[in-house]
Amino acid sequence: MNDAAARNFEYLAYGLAAVWTILVIYVLTLVSREKKIGRQIEGLQRMLEDKQGK
Amino acid sequence: MRERILYGLGAVAAALLVRNIWKLLTGLPDEAFQGAIFRIIFFHVPAAFTSFTCFLCALIAGIAYLKSKNLKWDSFGVSVTEVGLAFGAANLISGMIWARIIWGIWWTWDWRLTSMLICWLLYAGYLVLRRAIEEPTERARLSAVMSILSFSVVPFVFFSIKWFRTQHPQPVLFGDGKMDTGYRVMLYSNWIPLLMFAAILVAVRMMQERRQREIDALRRAAHAF
Amino acid sequence: MRFLRQTLTVAAKDLRSELRTKEALNASLSFALVILLLFSFAFDPTADTTREISGGLLWLVFAFAGALILNRSFARELENDCLDALIASPVPGPALFLGKALANYVLLLGIEVVCLPVFGVFYNVHVAGQPLWLALVLLLASWGVSVVGTLFSALTVNLRLRELMLPMLVYPMLIPCLMAAMQLTTPLLAGQPLQGDLLAWMRMLIGFDIIFTSLALVLIDTVLIG
Repeated sequence: MNDAAARNFEYLAYGLAAVWTILVIYVLTLVSREKKIGRQIEGLQRMLEDKQGK
Repeated sequence: MRERILYGLGAVAAALLVRNIWKLLTGLPDEAFQGAIFRIIFFHVPAAFTSFTCFLCALIAGIAYLKSKNLKWDSFGVSVTEVGLAFGAANLISGMIWARIIWGIWWTWDWRLTSMLICWLLYAGYLVLRRAIEEPTERARLSAVMSILSFSVVPFVFFSIKWFRTQHPQPVLFGDGKMDTGYRVMLYSNWIPLLMFAAILVAVRMMQERRQREIDALRRAAHAF
Repeated sequence: MRFLRQTLTVAAKDLRSELRTKEALNASLSFALVILLLFSFAFDPTADTTREISGGLLWLVFAFAGALILNRSFARELENDCLDALIASPVPGPALFLGKALANYVLLLGIEVVCLPVFGVFYNVHVAGQPLWLALVLLLASWGVSVVGTLFSALTVNLRLRELMLPMLVYPMLIPCLMAAMQLTTPLLAGQPLQGDLLAWMRMLIGFDIIFTSLALVLIDTVLIG
């Protein structure tokens, strides 16, 4: 039973990788949203400063 | 302060996960018929538990929003639903990989798989509904209703599909309630770090929602000039 | 008593305006017939295996045709701000909802009554083998479809892409109801009486109707007014 192939270790690795890939993808969407929010805030602040400067 | 709590939680969760994976690979004996692949279950089942915990929280958030009209509950609701969907997807995909090896097929219309898929679709519908509404309070109100309705249909889905499928021959499910204590302890001890991880994601997502609201307020202020 | 009269008034108003224009009715009836026709290309309509899935086919047709009616239910009130007028009228939200659900129910039943004999002729199924039980299943399941559908019709009425959102949200919700109806209709069309396991499906159908009717009545004010 120590033979890695017979014990399906390969597919265990795939399974665990799949679980974590999905969660990482979700984290990445969170990060991209974070960036988008940051950009929006920056743009808005600049716009407000412009308007106040006038 | 809040960020420090999150980092701490993340560190504990990561430590627990590493310990669990280590124990999984070295400490536990292989299951008699399935070899090493059965270890997927220690992520598969806790992921399902986590996603259902999230959906339950979404129900609570929906009711609480309708009672209090506080938009914080709405951002909590959308955060837990998204995280629940992520964990639900992890559950489905890991189950499919397991099924490919053990049953020889990617998918079978077994009641557990089918009802999980329907739950997933219901809550994905919730997110699609949110996207279609611009006005924040209207969005919060309607999605709270959607969340309550989704949760109340879940028991029906469970029972109906169970009745439907048990009338047909189905692959024998591994375990079926009879599980060795060592495995069971492992299962629950892996649920804890996953829940912590989910909590971190929810907290991050909620902060984003709050900032998004601030942006909207800023934008209104900018236009009011 | 007053609540009942208001409900009936709304239902009568909806039915009258629908029967005068027949826009949703015509569309959904011809749609149902087209689907019945299309199914005949998907498999051999005279084979015995078709009879085993007859309940499923029939309810798919009804669900598709129902979505067209439900789409119009609240959308019809958008023109000239009729919806605002209805909400502002002294009719309470639950009565408005029940009236609309009742009107949809009657229309849906009408479509079913027309489609059933057509289905029987096209697919060589004897539809009147168990007329009373079949009628009961039709009544219960159609009520489930119209209650959930009308609630979602109200929920999606102000949305962009309303016509797309409604079926996408409603069908997953209706799965238990439609599944019970399919399970019950298939043996009934084969002329077998209901017994044993099938009665459990009947109970589930009744439970679905009761729970979702009460949920809808509780939530409708939130949906319509906020």
